Amino acid sequence: MKIGDRGVKAIMLRSMVQIVRRPVYWTGFLMLPLFLFLFIGSMLDKGLPTRVPAAIVDRDGSALSRGITQDLGGMQMVNLTHCAQSFSEARHLMQKGDIYGFFLIPENFQADLLAGRKPVITFYTNMTYYVPGTMLFKTFKSTAVYAKAGIAKNVVQSVGIDAENLASVMMPINIAARPIGNPQLNYGIYLGNSFIPCVLQLMIMLMTVFSIGQEIKYGTSVHLLKMADGSIFKAMFAKLFPQTVIWVVVAFFMTSWLYRFNHFPMNGSWGWMLLSELMFVLACQGFAIFVICVLPNLRFSLSVCALLGILSFSIAAFSFPVPSMYTGMQLFSYLVPIRYNFLIYVDQALNGIDITYSKWWFIAYIIFMLLPFTLLWRLKKYMQHPVYVP
Amino acid sequence: MFDVYCREFKLVTHDVGIMLFFIFLPFVYPIIYSLIYNPELVKEVPLVIVDHDRTPLSRELVRKIDACDQAHVIGYAADLNEARHAVNSHKAYGILEIPEGFARKNGRMETANAVLYGEMSLLLRYKGFLIATTNVMQDFSTELMTAKIDDIAPLAETVMSGDPLPIDNVSMGNIRSGFDSFIMPGVLILILQQCIILAVGMAGGARHEGARLTGYDPVNSAPSVLLTMIAQTLCYITILIVPVIFMLHFVPLIFRFPMAGNTLEIFAFILPLVLASFGVGFTFQALVTERESVFVLWVVTSLIFLLLSGLIWPLYDMWPAWRALADICPSTWGVEGYIKMNANGASLSQVGIPYRNLWILTAVWWVAGYCARRWVVRPATSARTGNRQAV
Repeated sequence: MKIGDRGVKAIMLRSMVQIVRRPVYWTGFLMLPLFLFLFIGSMLDKGLPTRVPAAIVDRDGSALSRGITQDLGGMQMVNLTHCAQSFSEARHLMQKGDIYGFFLIPENFQADLLAGRKPVITFYTNMTYYVPGTMLFKTFKSTAVYAKAGIAKNVVQSVGIDAENLASVMMPINIAARPIGNPQLNYGIYLGNSFIPCVLQLMIMLMTVFSIGQEIKYGTSVHLLKMADGSIFKAMFAKLFPQTVIWVVVAFFMTSWLYRFNHFPMNGSWGWMLLSELMFVLACQGFAIFVICVLPNLRFSLSVCALLGILSFSIAAFSFPVPSMYTGMQLFSYLVPIRYNFLIYVDQALNGIDITYSKWWFIAYIIFMLLPFTLLWRLKKYMQHPVYVP
Repeated sequence: MFDVYCREFKLVTHDVGIMLFFIFLPFVYPIIYSLIYNPELVKEVPLVIVDHDRTPLSRELVRKIDACDQAHVIGYAADLNEARHAVNSHKAYGILEIPEGFARKNGRMETANAVLYGEMSLLLRYKGFLIATTNVMQDFSTELMTAKIDDIAPLAETVMSGDPLPIDNVSMGNIRSGFDSFIMPGVLILILQQCIILAVGMAGGARHEGARLTGYDPVNSAPSVLLTMIAQTLCYITILIVPVIFMLHFVPLIFRFPMAGNTLEIFAFILPLVLASFGVGFTFQALVTERESVFVLWVVTSLIFLLLSGLIWPLYDMWPAWRALADICPSTWGVEGYIKMNANGASLSQVGIPYRNLWILTAVWWVAGYCARRWVVRPATSARTGNRQAV
């Protein structure tokens, strides 16, 4: 680049040269996001963890209790790795982390049952690990219910109810559950579609703030403004446009990674999803510029972006729904762009509903894009007189 | 060594960037995080009903579901389209459809079927609906069954009055099965590890930049690499003592997370985690050439550590490659041990394997950190110092 070169093209060129020359840029722009896409995708590839290690505590040792043990061992979700002699032994195994739960059949189970003394079957699940704990809970519960049904069947038959009415006597009401859009209860669909774009938001915000802050830190912002003939709009546009192109390519790759390579449900139109990703990139950049306008100190604004970016994984309510949060916290979930990306994904890709239901989320994107225009004058002031505060 | 300790202490306390990691991160971050999930349970999720039957039986079913903690019936829709409109406009997250002839089937001794359609954006909502409908289904069925048996064979009811085989379940560790109590203890450990690595990384970056920008004394690592590392670690630990106690003891106390462990044993367990994190931090210094690049390079790894810790996806079911990666992260073992001690009440001997592995990792990462400091960080620093002197 010649000294004294001016105009949008020259700034774009300068910006591209900066990106190519420093490893930290291509790590942040490409390597980290791509690694995380791959990592999260492959981590949740299986959908649901199966064969959760568990123990059986059979204090009875009768034909009936052995039958229950066999039924339990045959279930898909559980792997009976241990056979403990007592509650204490099983609890000890759980504390050591060898098992995630155990199923306890009490002493004199069969005798008490036949005598009508109502023995109690108890199962214990370690809920400090949510997913395996819940899987075990489900499996243990159905095993216990089947065992109960078997016993009830015998009792009912013994009072003279014929076999053809048996099913309806045993189960007069049945509510079938239909999980729409994710029939296998695939954990990957639910976490991948939210975590992967959230990684993108974090990296876009960090890199945008980092690249602008660098100019202020090293005092090159004065030169940048001169190249843009003193126009902050021109300077920002030309500096960030090459980054926008990179991010859009990464975001489109992400979309195909999610819906084509991972086969996550895409029940709506690709067009709306791609538009959503495009606007998402711009919204994140807009939000990041806004942050650095408010705090024109590289480290402070990076800290804020890092804080918000990591907090977004929780506050944007990918797992814990917004209405269940405290009212004060609910507000914050609508202050990050990823929330709208998630809502659009739910409406368009997962549920495939009409676009008019999602219109507000797209409008929110536009507000994020317009945010920096309110404070760019402040950034300009700092770019003219750069001060580095460590 | 004491000199380095004192000098480092002065430098760090005057460095706002590093103090932010040591003070803001451990004090404010856990509180914000815990507040998000603190309601623990997902309750009263809106549900819309499509009742084609409109009989006392179908109304009673709806009343019973509405009475459950997990579900809240927002109203009746005339048909499935109206109900879908409610779900699409984000007013409800599930539809219960009761077909025509529901009560008639029940009267004819056939099984009466109803269908629950769940919106699947969040698994916790669906889980709530599932628990509510299963419980209602079982209780209602038992009630109807008893009545029916009485009809068919009078006196038979006496044979099986009530439930022949009660089923009981106990959630261990996290007794309320709450979301906050599940995720936060692990996240606390991750915050601790990340705060150490980020701070050490930033200190390393500062060293590269020299005195012009930061006021740092770049000849800091003068005496010997190892002694400097030890002195710095001791200095940082001195600063970290109060934040760590706050994070691992008072945060669970404030937010009522399970606390079943022995406090002293927990801190004994945390020590190698802290040391190993310093080792990772020193190694990371090799990659940092600028203070602020720690954000770009390291912040996103929090997610990697979270996924590798076994909290989200159990360790035994992980890809071998990811499992191996998980094994070299201090946080994996730290999270595992801390949760077992804090929530499940395990003693230090019961978490012997994670504890031993943490010490091994401490040794490994310190060797790596020494190499990084000796052959990467120091030559770079002295080269820059040399240049400046020449200028």
